[in-house]
Amino acid sequence: MKILVPLKRVADPDNANKVKPTADKVDTSGLEWKINPFDEYALESALRLTEDGKAPKKRLGEVIVVTVGPKETETTLRSALATGADRAIRVDAEDDALDGRMVAKALQSIVEAEKPDIVLMGKQAVDGDTNQVGQILAERLDYPMATFAATIQEEDGGVLVSREVDGGVCWLRLKNPCVVTVDLRIVAPESVYSLKTDKSFKHNDGVRFAALPAIMKAKKKPLDVKTLGDVAAGTELTAKYSKFEPPPQRAAGVKVADVAELVQKLATEAKVI
Amino acid sequence: MPNPLIDDRFVDFLLYEVLHAERLCELDHFSEHSRETFDMAMATSRGFARDVLYPAYKPMDEAAAHLDNGCVRVHPLMHEIFPRMVELGIVNGTRPESVGGLQLPMTIATLTGGYLMAGNLSAFGYLGLTAGAARLIESFGSDELKRTYMDRMYAGEWTGTMALTEPQAGSSLTDVKTSATPTMDGHYLIKGSKVFISGGDQDLTDNIVHLTLGRIDGAPAGIKGVSLFAIPKNRLENSKLVPNDCSTVGVFHKIGWRGLPSIALNFGEEGDCHGWLVGEPHRGIRHMFQMMNEARLMVGMNGAATASVAYHEAVDYAQNRPQGRGFTDRDPSTPQIPIIKHADVRRMLLRQKAIVEGAIALLAAAGMYFDISEHAPSEEERHRAWLLLELLTPIAKSFPAEKGFEANALAVQVHGGYGYTSEYMPESWLRDQKLNSIHEGTTGMQSMDLLGRKVVQEGGAALRALAEEITETSRRAREAGVPEELGSKLEGGMTAIGAVTMHLGELGMNGDIDGMMLHSVDYLEMFMAVVVGWQWLQMATAAKKGLEKHPEKADFYEGKLCAAQYWINTEIPRVGALAALCRSGEDSYARMQPDWF
Ligand SMILES: Cc1cc2nc3c(=O)[nH]c(=O)nc-3n(C[C@H](O)[C@H](O)[C@H](O)COP(=O)(O)OP(=O)(O)OC[C@H]3O[C@@H](n4cnc5c(N)ncnc54)[C@H](O)[C@@H]3O)c2cc1C
Repeated sequence: MKILVPLKRVADPDNANKVKPTADKVDTSGLEWKINPFDEYALESALRLTEDGKAPKKRLGEVIVVTVGPKETETTLRSALATGADRAIRVDAEDDALDGRMVAKALQSIVEAEKPDIVLMGKQAVDGDTNQVGQILAERLDYPMATFAATIQEEDGGVLVSREVDGGVCWLRLKNPCVVTVDLRIVAPESVYSLKTDKSFKHNDGVRFAALPAIMKAKKKPLDVKTLGDVAAGTELTAKYSKFEPPPQRAAGVKVADVAELVQKLATEAKVI
Repeated sequence: MPNPLIDDRFVDFLLYEVLHAERLCELDHFSEHSRETFDMAMATSRGFARDVLYPAYKPMDEAAAHLDNGCVRVHPLMHEIFPRMVELGIVNGTRPESVGGLQLPMTIATLTGGYLMAGNLSAFGYLGLTAGAARLIESFGSDELKRTYMDRMYAGEWTGTMALTEPQAGSSLTDVKTSATPTMDGHYLIKGSKVFISGGDQDLTDNIVHLTLGRIDGAPAGIKGVSLFAIPKNRLENSKLVPNDCSTVGVFHKIGWRGLPSIALNFGEEGDCHGWLVGEPHRGIRHMFQMMNEARLMVGMNGAATASVAYHEAVDYAQNRPQGRGFTDRDPSTPQIPIIKHADVRRMLLRQKAIVEGAIALLAAAGMYFDISEHAPSEEERHRAWLLLELLTPIAKSFPAEKGFEANALAVQVHGGYGYTSEYMPESWLRDQKLNSIHEGTTGMQSMDLLGRKVVQEGGAALRALAEEITETSRRAREAGVPEELGSKLEGGMTAIGAVTMHLGELGMNGDIDGMMLHSVDYLEMFMAVVVGWQWLQMATAAKKGLEKHPEKADFYEGKLCAAQYWINTEIPRVGALAALCRSGEDSYARMQPDWF
């Protein structure tokens, strides 16, 4: 089994966001970066799908991590290599040169070259929250797709995915190659099983941590660099940002004397009922 | 906000803006490392501490390990945690590649360890002890001992303990009685009773190796007759483990560190306990002493980490607990303000911050002196770093323990009545903290080590090196625009230490050792104020520079400058009074007779 996991580093949501004076950009200077949490979950699921759930674990497949971004994002890739991914690809690009469609195009070229069985990715990145790249990529590749996966079981030649939807669970059976985007629950102890993992096996809750020896070994794992021209030639940006503005400051609240006054204010001032 | 255990931003500041830890990678020994490997190690430890260790802390505190049919049963959560902790490769992280380690600098390991300790002191304890015990075998054991024990301990297959204390031999290890009778087969038959042995029994691994002090039959009396032994709980015979006549007599009920059992342990009740000599006969204490700095820095970090997690809990509480109004706003119809808006609550929080971050900075600095003392290219540089490390060790051990206890008490205080209940966490950390001034040499013993050995060794060379460092720090602080008075106060404090040390040293030279040592704890106290002030001045300097470069991070840097100002203005003025007390020969407790109590 070969799995491709696209990763994005995002500004730590704990940072206070600032808008540049020109207002067409978010000011990224001095921000702390981290890997997009949903991508971490995708990586964790990919590692689970390519091992046997025994101690010590045996690797049964290959996990390739990919990011599209500037040189600094190699740190993100190497952390992923340290947690267990086998090799990495970086497509060199400045953040400003990217939108969802451009990234999907770049990933498409890489998928076509690497021919993974599954592209496993986060359902969305927590910076822009656009929730597009997985879907655009599946469409361009003409692959079957499951979004917001809560569980994944490997089957012969495909995967069985469950998604939590309003009022229940929706099951999708996909043939490989396919695109699966994952939700938070995918890192629960019993959510991912490879064909070789016993169903009684429970994974550790959450994502795994890089062991110190693996950190040192990660430096020797392959990390290829491509240019955006290599993989997305001729693609234009479709999303253009014209203005950012911070949300309005919250005004102070008021105390109401009783329910009647509350209802009256909701109707006449807030105009919500 | 979930408790961060230790502030990440602060740790990064320490490493890369104060200590410039990336420079360590220029040393041959660390050339495989880079800031990236440091950061990844840090990320692992942070994540593991927060997601795995911390959630297990309270359940482990509530249900301590217990004795069941002669065997200790540890908390069920520990069974999940232990293998995962081992998998992370932290037991031998700092050890050389030749023994399977990763040559991580002590500077880094001190801080990665700090997160684990802050998350769950007891859980970390199993590994900390194992690392310490394996380290002794690595340094002094035969190849056979290394293969049989060290390798398995570094791999986390077996754990280790330090089994030193006996009922009549606590602070005074000279008095250990455990006996070792040589046999023709190369091992010794061991007989003796140990108390308080942490991790002395557990059901996590199928073997435990006790690094034990004992006396070979006929050995000279006193310290020069104590040897070091490795005593496995189960010994290997024909590659099978058979019981080695080590019995658990009882588990101590203790007020803290409840996830890590401390037991009374008997060797050789049946006359069949085999032990193997580690290192040379009669040099056991000396061997132990060589590992002392590492062990004491670890205990120092236990203290700093325990104070840190409580400090963060207190800050969060203070931001969210509404109570009362400002002095000038007494209108009861206005909402109550969060207690952090009361200056006195901020006093308590700032004191905690100054202690916690001062302690962590001191430990990281000691870690760096450790790395330099072992791996710098020139003998001169190594020696100077070693002198400073030697001098700083008793302070880096005692300051976090003693002032950390005060910080832990303040965290309870900030929580008011709620802090006094076990519904809230701070009381448990207060209980944990108390041990740190007792084990690994009590504060009293540390003060004697400082005054009786460290400041006088090599004709006061260490003290001179410290004075040079402080002068240099003060110069840099001035250059960076830190208020002049902070540096000059600190230099004044150092001068006072120099003068009082001269005076006490003379008393000692003239044979009045009792007079010299009478105020050793006051001397330690004075020393702590200055050494931690020195750390704060370094941080203030880095903060000034940071503020210029990154005005957008003013909150962070201003906080450092305020804490530096607080420490130096509140603590350094006490130095003069303490110095006067040390010199005065004030003899109330010297004169006080046991019968007068
Ligand atoms: C929870 C816990 C875990 C422990 N874990 C371990 C372990 O894993 N392995 C191990 O070997 N030991 C362990 N210990 C033992 C610990 O190291 C000893 O308790 C410590 O060394 C002090 O010895 P003591 O208890 O006999 O006290 P004492 O030595 O009797 O000291 C009592 C008091 O007298 C003072 N005092 C003693 N001698 C002098 C002196 N010469 N001058 C001035 N003052 C003096 C001390 O400072 C102290 O205040 C542990 C203890 C505890 C409580």
